[in-house]
Amino acid sequence: MYACIYVPNSSGDVHAALFDYASAFSPRVENTVPGTVVFDLEGLERLFGSYSEIAEKVAEQVRAGGLQANIAVASNPDAAICAARGFSGITVLTRGTEARRLRDLPLHVLSPSPEILETLDRWGIRSFGAFAKLPAVQVSERLGQEGVRLHKLARGVGSRPLVANQEVLRFIEIMELDYEIVAIEPLTFILSRLLDQICSRLRSRNRATHEVHLTLGSCVRVLHLPLPIRNPRLLSKLLVLNLEAHPPGAPIKQVKVEAIPAGPRIVQNGLFVPLSPEPEKLELTLARISAVVGEENVGSPEILDTHRPDAFRINKFGVMGNERAPIERALNERAPNVVAGFSPRSLSLRLFRPALEATVQMKELVPAWIAFHGLHGPIETASGPWRSSGDWWRPDTWDREEWDIEVLDAIYRIYYDVHTDRWFAQGVYD
Amino acid sequence: MQSVLLRARLESALGERIPSLFTDLDKRVCESVPTGIAQLDALIGGLPRGAITEIFGPPSSGRTSAMVSILAEATTRDEVCAIVDGNDAFDPKSGAAAGLDLKRLLWVRCRKLDQVLKSTDLLLQGGGFGRVVMDLTDLPQPHLRSVPFASWFRFQRTIEKTPTVLVVMSPESMVKSAAALVLRMETRGAMWSTLLNEMHLNIEIVRSRRSRPLNSYVRVHLRSQFFR
Repeated sequence: MYACIYVPNSSGDVHAALFDYASAFSPRVENTVPGTVVFDLEGLERLFGSYSEIAEKVAEQVRAGGLQANIAVASNPDAAICAARGFSGITVLTRGTEARRLRDLPLHVLSPSPEILETLDRWGIRSFGAFAKLPAVQVSERLGQEGVRLHKLARGVGSRPLVANQEVLRFIEIMELDYEIVAIEPLTFILSRLLDQICSRLRSRNRATHEVHLTLGSCVRVLHLPLPIRNPRLLSKLLVLNLEAHPPGAPIKQVKVEAIPAGPRIVQNGLFVPLSPEPEKLELTLARISAVVGEENVGSPEILDTHRPDAFRINKFGVMGNERAPIERALNERAPNVVAGFSPRSLSLRLFRPALEATVQMKELVPAWIAFHGLHGPIETASGPWRSSGDWWRPDTWDREEWDIEVLDAIYRIYYDVHTDRWFAQGVYD
Repeated sequence: MQSVLLRARLESALGERIPSLFTDLDKRVCESVPTGIAQLDALIGGLPRGAITEIFGPPSSGRTSAMVSILAEATTRDEVCAIVDGNDAFDPKSGAAAGLDLKRLLWVRCRKLDQVLKSTDLLLQGGGFGRVVMDLTDLPQPHLRSVPFASWFRFQRTIEKTPTVLVVMSPESMVKSAAALVLRMETRGAMWSTLLNEMHLNIEIVRSRRSRPLNSYVRVHLRSQFFR
């Protein structure tokens, strides 16, 4: 069975909306002509109920979108189209009753060529029923193949397959502005509206987005999301935070938002899932913190594979899945390792970034006195030197002699930079 | 006077049926999480969830090592942690050597006190972090003393019904009564051979909302993991 949604005299936007409504019910939707979409209902009864109930639900959704449409259900696409164009409201044609139900419809519903319509009119044929009664062979002799096709449609026995739309889905909303916008605040209202529409379309297709492109004239922003999202408020806030951190720099005359579709996130909660932030909330929190401290100062550290001191990079932080099996972790929870005596009691280093320049006096090749950053005094214990160098082929080569020293009840790591012939305090053991 | 009489009557009438009629919220049983330092856990029973723990002390008193241990312990249980670093002093290499899973750690590198306060506020409001560490140790003390006391209570109110543990690290005690647990750390010397081998510390309970003896302390030895 097939369903047709028909809105007379519709524009391109209305047709796109009709296509979205149909896609919310079935993956096989045909873009027939502007204002008319047909979709396959096979197998949908178990999801949405009988064909009448499906038609009711479609009508409800179309009404919610502020449109007035005719909806028809029939055993073939053409009969559904004819019924939707000929009858207002909801029409359900059961299999075998198409010819009888369609017989009173006027012939212009078939959209025949003016010549054929005039010929039929001269013959006194003005309805589907009258046309269907004519013998098919004689119709073929007098009106040709086009006449035979229309004759089949009038009898409600169309046999063409549904041509499902195969175009790549694009979720784009554009708004041209009457006057230029120079502040972020009025832009938030426009973004909210556009994102509302995009997210509504994404939801109707059971899709989400992991990448949003915002074009404000010549300024283009790309928002990469760690997980697929279709929450318009969250997307709007993330875009606004991005714009506040990096303002467009020119007045805005056109706003274009494109969301790249992706499969929605599927979450399966478990009894033993450990505490972690909600990914959508976390993304917003990270964006807000980035606005406070800078994007490069928020994330998860990763130690680089080099002997260079303090070599790390900051990666984007995201909550990851749990690698261990829930049952294994549950067993671990029952046997806390504190009781077992586990204790990573090791000494940590606090770093001075950048390293603090120091004045060091040597005695028999061992540091004996130091002054840096308002602190000065004799060195009670010194351990070193520990030589370290590398990357001699690069301009940022390093070559240093490190010492661990105890000064005024605190233990510091200092180093002598061989290249610059200067001493630095690198950090404190704490 | 009338209210006192009324309360006394209510307590005598309902005291047996409802023992916790007028007990403070603070006295409710709260969950604790281990610090990863066995002696300390034996003494304090772990850090209270949904409350602030303050750790303070001078340089080289083991504050950072305690912080790393607390975070490492949480990440071994697959919890997600955050450190709001007041002076960009955290060393990822030390963390990794102590068993801290860096992929489960959010590091916020700040340079000013207001950045630390704002970032901590946002993290606590966002929720979902097992441990949030606010590292204020290297910030100037006059600035730290200017933090409104209400800020600590606001943080405490934000997390009190969540499983988050907020650890505040500072050079001197600042959180006062907003903290459920206050620990003072001090160094008791170091053991050297050719290398720095061990550092000896005292950890003292300055304040605890649980029924534990105040001013009790524990000695901890931290071994150096910096091989030369």
